[in-house]
Amino acid sequence: MSRSTVNRSILAVAGLLLLGGGLLVLAGSFDLYRRLHLGIPSWLPLGSPHEPLVSTASRTRWDDRGWWWPVVIAVLSLAVAAALWWLAAQLRRSGPGTVTLPTPPGAGPVLRLRGRALEDAIETETIALPEVTRIRVRLLGNRRRLLLRAAVRMQSSGTPADLLDDFHSGPLTHARTSLSLPELPCELRLQVAGRSSVRTPKPPRVL
Amino acid sequence: MTADQLESPPEDDQIIKGRRLRSPRTFGAVLISTAVLVVAGGLLSDVVAVRTGHRARPWRADLAHQLATRHLDDPWVRLGAGVAVLLGLWCCLLALTPGLRRWLPLSRPGSAIDRAGVAALLAHRAEEYPGVASVKVRVGQGSTKVTLQGTADPAGLERGLRAELARIPLALPNRLDVRARSAGRRQR
Repeated sequence: MSRSTVNRSILAVAGLLLLGGGLLVLAGSFDLYRRLHLGIPSWLPLGSPHEPLVSTASRTRWDDRGWWWPVVIAVLSLAVAAALWWLAAQLRRSGPGTVTLPTPPGAGPVLRLRGRALEDAIETETIALPEVTRIRVRLLGNRRRLLLRAAVRMQSSGTPADLLDDFHSGPLTHARTSLSLPELPCELRLQVAGRSSVRTPKPPRVL
Repeated sequence: MTADQLESPPEDDQIIKGRRLRSPRTFGAVLISTAVLVVAGGLLSDVVAVRTGHRARPWRADLAHQLATRHLDDPWVRLGAGVAVLLGLWCCLLALTPGLRRWLPLSRPGSAIDRAGVAALLAHRAEEYPGVASVKVRVGQGSTKVTLQGTADPAGLERGLRAELARIPLALPNRLDVRARSAGRRQR
């Protein structure tokens, strides 16, 4: 499961909990059940505006059971551990540190290339392409399946289609063949330098 | 490709073909994780303290007292519930929408172009057109609005800019609309 899916699930669960809790309190607060003549199911808390948020009954329902406090402590510990683990996963630098270079069969040492060096090689070749003013390449994915993300800025006199073709047939293909990979997926984000609107300078105001 | 490779797709967000980019929503998830960490950590430390024979700290005693005495028609309770509903709606919206509205997908899988970049390309082209004094380009997700100031013929400019837009290999259709603003009227 990708990181995006997990993050979106976390957002959805948190959102639904907040939404459900808020709506439950609001419905009880404005006495909607009585006004709309809805029968309240007996298990539903917060039914009337004169109830406290946490009634004595719901506070002491399981208080005297032996399992209640161990379960509370276990659930809270799990929540803390999961939150810590997920935060650490977000802050970790993604992408492999090194890439294994192809060696002839039977050769002794394993050659590894630093990921930063691969990024650098692609950047150096891309900046030499016509109309490119800035490039930043990042290596993502894992060691078995690499993924590149390139942020390219070009001049507004250039043609995006040509630049895409040049990038894919030039730097990207060279990187792919030197690593002897069948494919090297790349996400390319293209920006265009220059003014977003053309304006003539304002004439000086004559008083 | 070995079976091992097939089983392990890249962990990071994968390349999406011909559709809008999807944001990984890292920031929202980090915020929620931090909130869970703070709330659950605080409660846990206090519950453990109480179980091991210490007194509950003042904040928890106060919170329990407030929760037990404030009734549902209390204005603060209503305000809190309203804020919770709005936050919940916003979180659901963030979870469902793709995000990254700044980027328009290109026809080559995984690549995208900045909306402001498309505007710059169109403005660059329009600038070369005779009789164009100034031009304002606004590029949206599905349509582009060009406001022209000058003596140029809007229909002619529209044809030229349509051709320029067609040269950008966008994955999704984008309508182009050129409007002329008369030179005498001041631009907003």
